[in-house]
Amino acid sequence: MKSLVLNPILAKEFRSRMRNWKSPLMISLYLGLLGLITLAYYWMQQKRGFYSGFGPDVGPQIFIILSVFQLLLLSFVTPALTAGVINGERERQTFDLLLCTRLSSASIVLNKLLASISYILLLVIASLPVFAIVYFFGGVLLSDMGRVILVSMATAITFGVIGIFCSTLFKRTQVSMVVSYVVVLLFLVGTMAVTVFLQGIQTGPYPRVTAMYFSYANPLVALFSIFPNQAAGVGIMSSFLGGYRTYGYNAAVSQALSPWQYNFIFDGVLIIVLLLLTVFLLDPVGRFKRLRKNPAVVETEAESAPAEG
Amino acid sequence: MLQVEELSKSYGKFLAVDRLSFSVEDGAIFGFVGPNGAGKTTTMKILGTLLRPSSGKAWIAGEDVSQNPRRIRQLVGYMPDFFGVYDDLKVDEYLDFYSASYRIPARQREKIISDLLELMDLEHKREAYVDSLSRGMKQRLCLARCLVHDPALLILDEPASGLDPRARVEVREILKELKNMGKTIIISSHILSELTELCTHLGIIEAGKMVACGSVDEIVHRSQSAQSIEIRVLGQMDEALFIINNNLGLSAIKLDEQMLELPFNGNEEEMNRILTHLVQAGIPLVSFAQSQSNLENIFMQLTKGVVQ
Repeated sequence: MKSLVLNPILAKEFRSRMRNWKSPLMISLYLGLLGLITLAYYWMQQKRGFYSGFGPDVGPQIFIILSVFQLLLLSFVTPALTAGVINGERERQTFDLLLCTRLSSASIVLNKLLASISYILLLVIASLPVFAIVYFFGGVLLSDMGRVILVSMATAITFGVIGIFCSTLFKRTQVSMVVSYVVVLLFLVGTMAVTVFLQGIQTGPYPRVTAMYFSYANPLVALFSIFPNQAAGVGIMSSFLGGYRTYGYNAAVSQALSPWQYNFIFDGVLIIVLLLLTVFLLDPVGRFKRLRKNPAVVETEAESAPAEG
Repeated sequence: MLQVEELSKSYGKFLAVDRLSFSVEDGAIFGFVGPNGAGKTTTMKILGTLLRPSSGKAWIAGEDVSQNPRRIRQLVGYMPDFFGVYDDLKVDEYLDFYSASYRIPARQREKIISDLLELMDLEHKREAYVDSLSRGMKQRLCLARCLVHDPALLILDEPASGLDPRARVEVREILKELKNMGKTIIISSHILSELTELCTHLGIIEAGKMVACGSVDEIVHRSQSAQSIEIRVLGQMDEALFIINNNLGLSAIKLDEQMLELPFNGNEEEMNRILTHLVQAGIPLVSFAQSQSNLENIFMQLTKGVVQ
């Protein structure tokens, strides 16, 4: 396991990425945008004259706006970081050279993913001072902040894995990039559209709840299920939260988990399935393909593996 | 070192490699020759564990290539017919990355990299970005990359392709040095004259099939059995043909109004006898020469220019 994740690809990716001028630029743009959004919102509130001072909803609302924008920005950035990692190696003609080494396909995929996710984590950590502004106004629990970071990272990992899968499936980077963004868009908008459609054609409370489960695949729905209940704006998403909130009918009693927890499970399953598929697609003469051809051979190899060191 | 038996690779209906069989001894330099599309790269990729064969087997140092790719990767240094470099890395970082990818402990890497850079005459470029290297230097760096894990067998696909004459000579000298170090090398090239000088063994492949295989001496000798004498005359073509075919009992053919070709397997005394007969008969000879048997000629004799 140690060799799967502590390998030279990770070190090389860090070195190459941070040597590049694009990385500091991206971090600056990312933070600049989040900061700008926060300032713009606060300025609008002041301008409208709703608050003469710090109202009780300002903190939670800034928190919601920042969290949603962070999730959207990560959804936009992640495919750009991952959808070209494998076919980029193919285009640079370094892919065969990597496969010739003792690195396994699983190790190559995991480390490419880890390198991208580490960069996203860097963006999230770098954004924490912007999020800290929320605590000037109060109204947000630290646990809520933690959950938002968890959902954001889970979403980034899911979209990252989708990007790597597309990068392995398609030979050209442009194609994998476009397909990745389409899939991300389907997650963000398509799941809501399907939920609305299912709600439209189904009657009675229980089918409605079934439709809700579908919407839990949407990271925005997961995010809104974390936000403080009293914050204005949560109501917009209430029809997708399946009554988890106090808005609309209340089916929360029948739900063992909250939407963000369902989202976590969905992301986890999807990540595992896509990673296995990616490793299978990537390995030219790997274990899976040999197993398909001759199961006895793999057993023999497994027996001799410890001696090989 | 290498044993290939009935190896085939097909892509749908296209048969890239067709029941190929050959072997390479320890310490040999095996030249893999064939026209474009003959199946050289496909065979090399199978040996480098980058492709699965459709049928057949190959063993390197007794290990089955298809069934134990991890072990094979430790035994083989594969160099494809393109550079494959990370432009944003420095020369030593590039080699360090591949050394680490072959699980070489960090404390050993520094010495290995220094030794390889010295061998490839790239020490002065240690801190340079790979991007800034010349084509010849990049090729030498790629060769160094193949050697980081000290493989017993090197599989080099067109290592001199696209290089200028000086760079080609440099690569050839390095390969000779590697041979002296005891490495077994399989090398494909279109520059056939270089292979004659460098290789101990040859395999000539066409349309996925091996048409000739053996030591360079064997192949040259085999092709010499099909040599000929070319005779150019100023006139009296019919008399010359009569002397050769009737008086000497050979079978020359007329190529054009001035040129005769005589299939000939004899020695120099017999050549002298034919020449003497023609001179004594007063045939106005311009030239009398045995066709040269270089690798180009052998290659042209053995292959038919079939492209799949």
